[in-house]
This record gives sequence, structure tokens and C-alpha cells, in this order.
Amino acid sequence: MLLRKVANGLRALLRRRETEQDLDDELRAYLETAVEQNLAAGMNLEQARRAARVALGSVEATKDAVRDVGWESLVESIWQDVRHALRGLRRSPAFAAVAILTLALGIGINTAIFSVVNGLLLRSLPVAQPERLALVSSPRAIEGGFPAGWNYNVWEQIHKRQDGFDGAIAWSVFLHRLDLAQVGERQPADGLFVSAKFFQELGVPMLAGRPFTSEEDVLGQPESRVAVISYGFWQRRFGGAADAIGQTLSINRVPITVVGIAPPAFLGPEVGRAFEIALPIAASPVILHDPAWAGPTGRSYLAVMLRLRPRQSMESGTALLQGMQRQVIQAAMPQDGQWGPLHDEMMKDQFSLTPASAGTSELRREYSASLMTMLAIAGLILLIACANIANLLLARSAAARHELSVRLALGAPRRRLIQQLLVESLVLSGFGAIAGLLLAGWGSRLLVGQLSTWFERVVLDVSIDWRVLAFTAIVSALTALLFGTIPAIRASRVAPAAAVKESLANRLSGGRLIRLRGGLVAAQVGLSLVLLITAALFIRSFGRIAALPLGFDGDRVLVVDVNTSRTALSPTNRGVFLERLADTVRTIPGVTGAGVSLNTPVNRGVTAVSEFTAVGGPELPPTERRAIVNLVTSGWFETYGMTLRSGRVIDMRDTAAGALVAVVNEEFARRFFPNREALGGSVVEALPGLEKAVPITVAGIVGNAVDQLLTDDPIPTIYRPLVQFTVPMPLTEVSLSVRAASGSPALLARDVSTALTSFDRNLAFGFNPLTDQLEAARQKERLVAWLAGSFGALALLLAAVGLHGVTSYTVERRRREIGIRMALGAQRHDVVRLAVRQTLLMTLAGIAVGVAVAAGVTRYLQALLFGITPLDPVSFIAAATLFIAVALFACYLPARRAATIDPMNALRCE
Amino acid sequence: MATEKQSGLVQGTLDMLILKTLALEPMHGYGIGVRLDQISKGVFQVNAGSLFPAFRRLERDGLIKAEWRATENNRRAKYYALTPQGRARLARAAKDWETQTAAISRIMRASLGEI
Repeated sequence: MLLRKVANGLRALLRRRETEQDLDDELRAYLETAVEQNLAAGMNLEQARRAARVALGSVEATKDAVRDVGWESLVESIWQDVRHALRGLRRSPAFAAVAILTLALGIGINTAIFSVVNGLLLRSLPVAQPERLALVSSPRAIEGGFPAGWNYNVWEQIHKRQDGFDGAIAWSVFLHRLDLAQVGERQPADGLFVSAKFFQELGVPMLAGRPFTSEEDVLGQPESRVAVISYGFWQRRFGGAADAIGQTLSINRVPITVVGIAPPAFLGPEVGRAFEIALPIAASPVILHDPAWAGPTGRSYLAVMLRLRPRQSMESGTALLQGMQRQVIQAAMPQDGQWGPLHDEMMKDQFSLTPASAGTSELRREYSASLMTMLAIAGLILLIACANIANLLLARSAAARHELSVRLALGAPRRRLIQQLLVESLVLSGFGAIAGLLLAGWGSRLLVGQLSTWFERVVLDVSIDWRVLAFTAIVSALTALLFGTIPAIRASRVAPAAAVKESLANRLSGGRLIRLRGGLVAAQVGLSLVLLITAALFIRSFGRIAALPLGFDGDRVLVVDVNTSRTALSPTNRGVFLERLADTVRTIPGVTGAGVSLNTPVNRGVTAVSEFTAVGGPELPPTERRAIVNLVTSGWFETYGMTLRSGRVIDMRDTAAGALVAVVNEEFARRFFPNREALGGSVVEALPGLEKAVPITVAGIVGNAVDQLLTDDPIPTIYRPLVQFTVPMPLTEVSLSVRAASGSPALLARDVSTALTSFDRNLAFGFNPLTDQLEAARQKERLVAWLAGSFGALALLLAAVGLHGVTSYTVERRRREIGIRMALGAQRHDVVRLAVRQTLLMTLAGIAVGVAVAAGVTRYLQALLFGITPLDPVSFIAAATLFIAVALFACYLPARRAATIDPMNALRCE
Repeated sequence: MATEKQSGLVQGTLDMLILKTLALEPMHGYGIGVRLDQISKGVFQVNAGSLFPAFRRLERDGLIKAEWRATENNRRAKYYALTPQGRARLARAAKDWETQTAAISRIMRASLGEI
């Protein structure tokens, strides 16, 4: 039945002319037969014809009804409407351009954000049957925002008991920045440690070579020195050469053989981050030079994933896993050993499984809420765009009233007219969607690019897939309905032939239409203003952050991360070694200062914290005793240009054998030495087990400086000479800060590199200008300000286009009236006032609404703002003023045109 | 628009009546209209606006087929005839109709007590 319908319809479409002809013939035959019969019944010819015509009714209507029988008639009429719409758009290119551009921006911004949402939240991992993947987690871990992190022992025990599942895999949650250089400056690559069957269990086939074998993931075996490289890395490092398999890479100076190449679609198990080199977990102690990574004292850095059996539910999987929890924990960390407290804790925190078809993602946790907010804002922008187009369409359909009412009078069904107008809207939004998709491709990449910083490469697949296409299609169809329905229904409501004889008076009033359009203008203005005020708040907030005093001069500082794990340093000789290192660098031409430290500001490194008490000072509660500890060599304070308040900074006088000294910041002095002079006073480290700590003399006080977060209040900080830190704990990652005499500090990298390598070949190091790190520290705020600013600007632009359109239309519609008024002696300014009065009134109403709404909602932004209140008057006033200025300008252009109307012309053209 | 005034006919009944009319012999459009008018003694005046879409519908569904032929007055006219499916459909429709009308009339004639 259905098949026949389709076939019949297709035949009718293909043989349309014949079908039409046939229908014509049949109707004519009907008419002729009717006339004949009427004649036979005794009517005269005139009467017979008339009666036959009456009986037949409207020929066109009948034909329409016959055509409507098949589904193909709908296709046909839509096609007709599409062509009609295209002709109409070609006839008014200005309208078409404005409408399509508006829609492209509105749809484009939605699609762009959606493709990021899609890439980050929705897309499944390109692996086999991702829906059966489950991440091993626990309620406490999920609550802590870090759902995956097990140590090697736990993984090993789960791995041994995987029989109830279709496989178990593990990988390192964080990418490790590996070093490919054999000597000198670091050549970074992002490394991932994975379990032996990682690729096989996920169902990721190798592009070339082979995945790891079980023998390669055994601790302490030289077989584990193998790597699978990503497609991107293969291209970057080997230029896609076929002989890459079997080659040896120097990874953290350990020779590693490449055995396989992953396919291009597989970027890793964590969405947003792309691995370059995958290595067996068993290789981590060798490569990271620390047995803790996979040893019995394991760090909790592994994500563990299970593959459920077919038809095994998440719940039954969880139950199975919980059933083995006791044995797993008992075997991984026996209660009687060093694990006591942790053992008990982990016994209480039950294992659970969470669906992991879309992989895991740190980025997802960090950004999903903001992305949803952005999607909502983008939706608002689309609403503004809709209001714009609805307004333009109302104007157009008012102009097309005449045509529509004539067609109604000729027997066109009303729904046919509505269909035509809706198809016109759909065509418009279709063009908008196509242009929007192009914009989105660019916009989403721009957005993802903004997420990457010096310490983190964000790689997200934001390519257009079926989900994005479906989203765009649905959004643009909804958009078309939203902006097209009201104008279409209104326009089709003309009485048949009424518009034909519609009088001038009628056209002058049209009160309802004006009210409707006025309402749209007000709503649009209100929405735009809310977005503009939000933008102003974020930009001001970012301005506050950018203007924060840093406490140091970071413009010309180059930070060099130095890894000393290859050198033969001990806790007793490393201080001298690093002092000498700084000395050597200081002799490089163009360098005015150099110093080594444990930490540098805003480097996202681990900040060392300890607790102190001032000798003879007040007993502080434990939380207030805390202070940041930094270890520095001589020359460090000069390199950063820190302000010395009193005393001296750390210099060559401080030696391992000398008296223990420290430089503290003002906040430290204030906290630990209230109401007395800190300089010359002494403090002791007040950690449990350090009761016999030697007092440290305060030799100098420096100004407060930013540590990690720019927005933090000053934190008590104590700087101690590196040479005096002889505690037997590893100190392999330190920072060398170099100050350039002039120009960009990055230019010093080559000379510093040479100097460091000739100082000690075993040093591994990498360069980061401090300005980059400062940028990264402001990254989130800048991103928010940038986005809010773009949204605000877009909203303002759309509102301006809308206001311009409305005023132009008013002027056009009242052309004749204006002509008469001018002929009767109205002045230019009267005319301008006439043209803009209504629109400006609506704009003012919209601004009032916008300010009120903004005042109501900005408090939800409180947490994101710094240094200003959510009702910051400057932002509100600036946004409203800018808006009024733009609105005035947008209205003024068409109004000026009104003032130049030639009365004679205007009167004649009706 | 033309169909709106053709009330009085239960939805779908027109198709059945056309099939019934064609059960005797192939006829052209005008003839079918006149025949319906005559048999119903003027109760159903079916005009072209509903007749022709119905023809198209039935033809689409394969219940009738059309053919151009000469009329008794030597004009060309499009004659419609029942197909085997059309005949089957008519038989089924007639049976359904009888069951339904019988039931409806029983209800309509029922006394107060019975309801």
C-alpha cells in the first residue's frame, strides 16, 4: 500500500504535465456533458452554460483539491513556495542579507557552542561498544570531584579478579610531560601510561605495528621499554614515515622502542587531552625515575575501567565489584602494615561503577557548567535574532498584504498562504543555518583554542557530526517557526479582497501591528541590554584582575624549569650546585639577574607549605600558623624586582654552615610579629616531630607578592636560602629565573640553553616566559570576559539592526503622511521626531525592563566577579549609555532619510 | 474550500457510494454525480469539488482505474471502472456499513427502559 503510494506519487511528479492535462480534459468533458444535459432538459444555451458552471464550482479550487490528494502535491507546492521565496529574496537583497546574516550569527554561535558541548560531553569514544565501558569509582571520589584515582596495587588486584567482566584496563589520569631530548632543552611530549591490554580491550586497532603484550607490562622488566605513538605524534615526529615502527625514542633519556601507531581518531581515554606517547604502566618507575609510580607505596594516579559483559547492567557490575572489594583492599594494602588507616578508609568507601562511554574528562568537570550557561546565553542571542527577523517579516508581509488578499479572493486556501509564508521563513533560516555552520566551524575552533595554555594542550574533536547537524537543523527549524509563525498567521488573516480596496486611512493606523512590533522591539532591547550589562560586569571584573599589583616585575623574566634527576646531587651539595648554576647564567650577556628557586609565581607547581611560630610571639591557631615556604638562591629577589621593605635579601653571605636566616613578606611579619618589629626576630618551624627545630632569624622583609592565584589575599610567605635546606628529600624540579636587560626574555633561551648544557650535560630543562604564565593565570577570567564581551557586542549589533529596520519601515509606511506634513510646513526636526518617537519610546521601555531584569539576575554571577559588586553602577550606566547611543544612531539614519523625503514625490506615489 | 459545504455525508461514505455506483458498469465523472443524485432522490448532491478528489484518491489506492472512451454522444470522457481490489473493498465496506447501521438504528430505536 505504502509502496504503491510512493510509486504513484513519484510517477505523478515525473509526469506532472500529463497528469495536469488529463485533469483539464476531464473537467472540460464534465462541463460539456453538463451543458448537454442541461440543454436536453430544456434550458437555452446561456442558461445551460451558467448552470453547468455553478454546478462545477471553482475550477481552480477543484484542481487544487484533486492535486492535494497525493503526498507529492505537498512536495510540489513546497517546491513552488521555495522558488517563490528565492525569487522574493532575490528581489530584496538588502532584506535577505540582513536576515541571513542575523540568522547566521544567531545559529552560528549556538552551533559553535554546541559542537564544543558535543565534543566534550556527548561524543562517544571512538572505541568498540563504548556503552559497555564503566569507570571504577567510589561515592567519596565522585564527591571530591575526582572520580578516578587508584594506586598500582589496587589496579593489580582488580585486574586479577576481572573474570566476571569482559576485561579491565587502567591508565594514568594525568598526561605526563615527557622529554624527548637526549641533552639540553626539553622536547616535550604528552605521555600516557596504560595497562598491557589497553588498546585491545578498548577495541582500538593499530594503524600500524602492534599494541602491547602482557609481558611488556611487568614491573622491572626491560621488555616494558616500548611505546605506542599517536597518529599526530607520528606525523609530527616522523613525518608519517613508514619505518617509524622499530625506531628508538629517547624518553626522559631512556631508550624506548616504538612498536605501534594508534589510529587518527583515537586521542586517548580522556576527552580534551590528547596523548602523544603511550607506555606500559610498568615502565613508569624507570621513565619517571621514581619507584613510587608503580611500586608498593603507589600513588593514586590510575583510572581503572571495566568492560561490562553483554546484557550486564551497571548495577549488577557494581554489585560484583563490591563483592570483591574486601579481598582487593586486603591484598592491595594489608591492614596490619603501613596501610592501616588508609585500609580502613578504603573499606568504608564502596566501589561503584559509572558509565564511561564518553570517556573521562577533567576538562568536562571544569567546563560543563560554563558551557551550559554559554549555550543558554547563545539561546538568548538567537531569541534576539528571532525578534529581529519577525519584525522584518511583519514589515514585509504588511507590504505583501495586497498580493495575499488577492490570492485568497481567487480561492487559495488560507493554510496554503500560511504554508507559503512559513516556507519563506524556512528558506531564510536554511540559508542562515548553512552560513551559521561555516561560522561555527571557525568559532568552535577559536573557542577550543582559547582553552589551551602553556601548561595544557586542549585537543577536542569539534568536527561537525550528525549530532551537530541535527542540532543545527532543529534549532533553525524552531527559529523559523518562532520568527515566522506570527507574521504568517497575521498576514493570512487578511479578508479576501479587503486589501485590494484598503484605504489609505487603514494603512496609516494598523494599531495592532504597531503594538506587536513595539513589543518585539522592547523585548529585544531588554534582552540585549541584559547581555550587554553582563559583558560590562565581566570586562570590568577582568580589568580589576589585570590591574592587581603582582608584587614583582614579571615583564622581562624567563622561567626555566630545571630537572636535576640525572645529576649526581645530594641534599648537602645541591644548594652549592644551584648557586653556581645561577652564577654561570648571570655571566651571559644580556642577563641582568638570575636565581634558582623551588617555586616561581603562577607556575601552577606544587607550593610548599609549613607551619611556624614566632619565638616569643603569640600562640596562633593551627590554620593561622601556615605559611608558604620558598627556597631561593642569591640573586632571586633582584631577578623579580621585589621590593625590599627592610633588612636584606638572601645573598652570597648565606651558606650551609652559617646561621639560619629567612626573608619574610609583609603579611608574614604582620601575622607572626603583631605590634613588634619582625626584623631580627626569629621563628621556628612548628610541625609535629620538629620540636627541636632551630630558630630562624628574620634577615629581611619584602613586599607581598602573588603566589598562584592572582585573586588571593596576601599569603604569609617565608623565603629561605636554598643552601640551608639540607633535609634529605628529593629536590629534582627547580626553577631558574633569568632577567633580561631589555627586550623579550624568550630571546635569551638559546644562550641559557647552551650555558646550562655546558654546565652539566645531565640537566633537562624547558623555557616559559613569565608573561605567558601570567596570561594563563588570568585565562579563565579572560575567557569569560572575552565571551561575555562577544555575546554583548553581538546582542548590541542585532538590536541596532532591529531598531534600524523598524524605523526604516515606519518611515516607509508613513511616507505619504510625512509628505503631507512637510507640504503643510512641518520642519525637519518635526519629521525626525515623528519617525523615531515611537521606536525610541519602546527602546526606553526596553532599557527599563533590561536594567530591572539585569539587576535581578546579575547576583547569580557574584561568584565569577572580582572586585566589583553584581550591581556595579559603572557597568550598568556604561552599558545603558552605550546602548542608548547605539539605538539613537540606529534610529537616526532612517529618520534622516525621512527628513529628505520630497513631499511631491511622496504624494504622487500612492 | 469547495468540499466544506458537502456535509451530510459521513466521512469516507462518498468513496463507498462511488464504488457502489461503479459496481454496475464503468461510468464517467458527470454520470457518477448524476447517478448519486438520482438514486438518493436528491439527498446527496455531490459536486465536482468533492467528486474529483475522491476519484483521484480511489485511483491512487488502486480501487478504480480510469480509461478515456467515447460517450454515447461521441464525446471523449474519462470512464472509471472497479478493479478487483475495488470490488473486494466495496463488499467489505457494505458489510461493515450494514453491521454499523443496524447497530446504530437499534440504539436509536431503543426505549427508555433499555437504555
